[in-house]
Amino acid sequence: MSLDLSPFIAMVYRHVKRWWSARSRVISVFLNPLLWMIFMGLGMSTVFTFTPKDVAPPGIDALPNVGNIMDTIAKYVQQMVNSRFGGLDYATFMVSGMATMSVFMGSFIAGISVIWDKQFGFLKESLVAPAPRGVVILGRIVGDSIINTFNGFVVMCIGFTISRSLNPLGVLVSLPYLFITSIAFTSLGIVIALKLASIEGFQMIINIFNMPVMFLSGVFYPITTMPEWMKHVAIFNPLSYTVHGVRYWLTGADVGIPPMNPLLDLAVLTFTSIVFAYSASKIFEKTTLED
Amino acid sequence: MDIVAVENLVKKFKDVVAVNGISFKIRRGEIYALLGPNGAGKTTTIHIIATILKPTSGNVFVAGYDVVENPDKVRKHIGIVFQDPSLDLDLTAYDNMYIHGKLYGLRGPELEKKIMNLLEFVELKEYASKYVRYFSGGMRRRLEIARGLLHEPELLILDEPTIGLDPQSRARIWDYIKRLKKEKDMTILMTTHYMDEAEELAHRIAIMDHGKIIAEGSVEELKSMIGSDVIYVTLDNRNIDICETIKFVNSCRWISLDRVEIVVDNASKALPEIFSIVDRLGVKVKEVSYRRPTLNEVFLHLTGKELRDSLESTSIPPRFRIWR
Repeated sequence: MSLDLSPFIAMVYRHVKRWWSARSRVISVFLNPLLWMIFMGLGMSTVFTFTPKDVAPPGIDALPNVGNIMDTIAKYVQQMVNSRFGGLDYATFMVSGMATMSVFMGSFIAGISVIWDKQFGFLKESLVAPAPRGVVILGRIVGDSIINTFNGFVVMCIGFTISRSLNPLGVLVSLPYLFITSIAFTSLGIVIALKLASIEGFQMIINIFNMPVMFLSGVFYPITTMPEWMKHVAIFNPLSYTVHGVRYWLTGADVGIPPMNPLLDLAVLTFTSIVFAYSASKIFEKTTLED
Repeated sequence: MDIVAVENLVKKFKDVVAVNGISFKIRRGEIYALLGPNGAGKTTTIHIIATILKPTSGNVFVAGYDVVENPDKVRKHIGIVFQDPSLDLDLTAYDNMYIHGKLYGLRGPELEKKIMNLLEFVELKEYASKYVRYFSGGMRRRLEIARGLLHEPELLILDEPTIGLDPQSRARIWDYIKRLKKEKDMTILMTTHYMDEAEELAHRIAIMDHGKIIAEGSVEELKSMIGSDVIYVTLDNRNIDICETIKFVNSCRWISLDRVEIVVDNASKALPEIFSIVDRLGVKVKEVSYRRPTLNEVFLHLTGKELRDSLESTSIPPRFRIWR
């Protein structure tokens, strides 16, 4: 028996088309990460920037800059600080994690469309269709993931205006990481949404999950300097692997704890997304109006 | 041949028995209406036939397939228009149709042609590229009917097809339903709580109340169930005692000098006989009229007049209610 892909295409088409016709969502793709980068990236990066003035001992107004000694000290301090961020300046460090964050947020919240569909009745339409439920839900997941990966792509492009040490080739290599991550978290969002009835309930869960997952991933500060207990949690956070992988390809910096390496990252993410996508399709297959 | 067979269907929600052991059959090519007050269990029955609710007990077969064993096969054979709208408001009318077609495995130019034909059928062709968000209630309903027909189902299910619509939209939708029956010999299962709708469209009606079918039959059969038709005949000669001659009626009496009131079970059957008797007696009929009990009277007689205030069965499983 050959598998008819029409229902899959139908759902991908639906989700991309819906996104495209909602101008506000398209604009927010550009605006949201830009705001994060400006206020978080640029604001924070000067905290970690050192000039000769900064390294002068307190109480001494003007130390003679003999043989550029102050410059050298400043440079040394800067290097030491940067080594905390895998040898990157903070702006580069953060910008290279920004795409992951934006993909994660977009994916997780995509599950909310399932609840909208429950309330506006479209879910019933997809429940009475003879198409295999698994194919329908996969179409939905992939459709949303395409949007979110594009979202991540845009964020990486914007990143070039903030940081000059990103690798343009790395952008392309990062896309599969982002796509697979999006599959995983969109599926997770859908699993939760299928079991909930209200937008408010879903938002509450998002709020509870979002922050720890985001901060434990190493977007804003490196996993390497986390307290020991936090590292133990971070190692089980799928998003840590995306941040590590994408940062590696964009900047060449290997800011992670063993066993993280770019290939293992991909394996972990693929495994996670298969598990979540499979659960989503199993739950959707059993869904009736009573759920 | 029966396209739908429902046998001893029971559906219990947590603490409510929504459908309580009903059985009925729908023949191919007929319009069958479930008529009943709100909360009678009509929509629950339809949802079970459409495979999106599981029965608690009993069997339901659609086109020969069991709805529990072979839901996919059943889904292929039915088109459904839900009581609550189920369109995607953020897409155009065409895209709503297109996605539906794709979900049912249609494709290519054939799909496009079908979409345009159906949009023409429901007179929405010029709105094909407009967003459904801006459609009126009647337009949305018509679009949903078109969508339900796209995959050429053998059975079209309409759940309260004209609820909340203006008289123009109602008339138009009735018109579509009649044309579908006439032109395509489509089998249609509909629910309604409007008497006139059931009377106008349905070949057979099942009256449901409190989860049970309390009466079933054609409009005529239902009407003759409760009551009697009253025939008034005005004759040109009152010397002949007509009531002596007519024996098969329930009652017969003179109500004025030349006017007879005859109460019968079924006026349409009794009238020809009365005419032939009057003819034999050599009397001329000057005027004849009769009053039928309305379906409304039948309905109220069967279901009673009390209001049906009950909580709708919730769609949230109890363990998650806390998250609402």
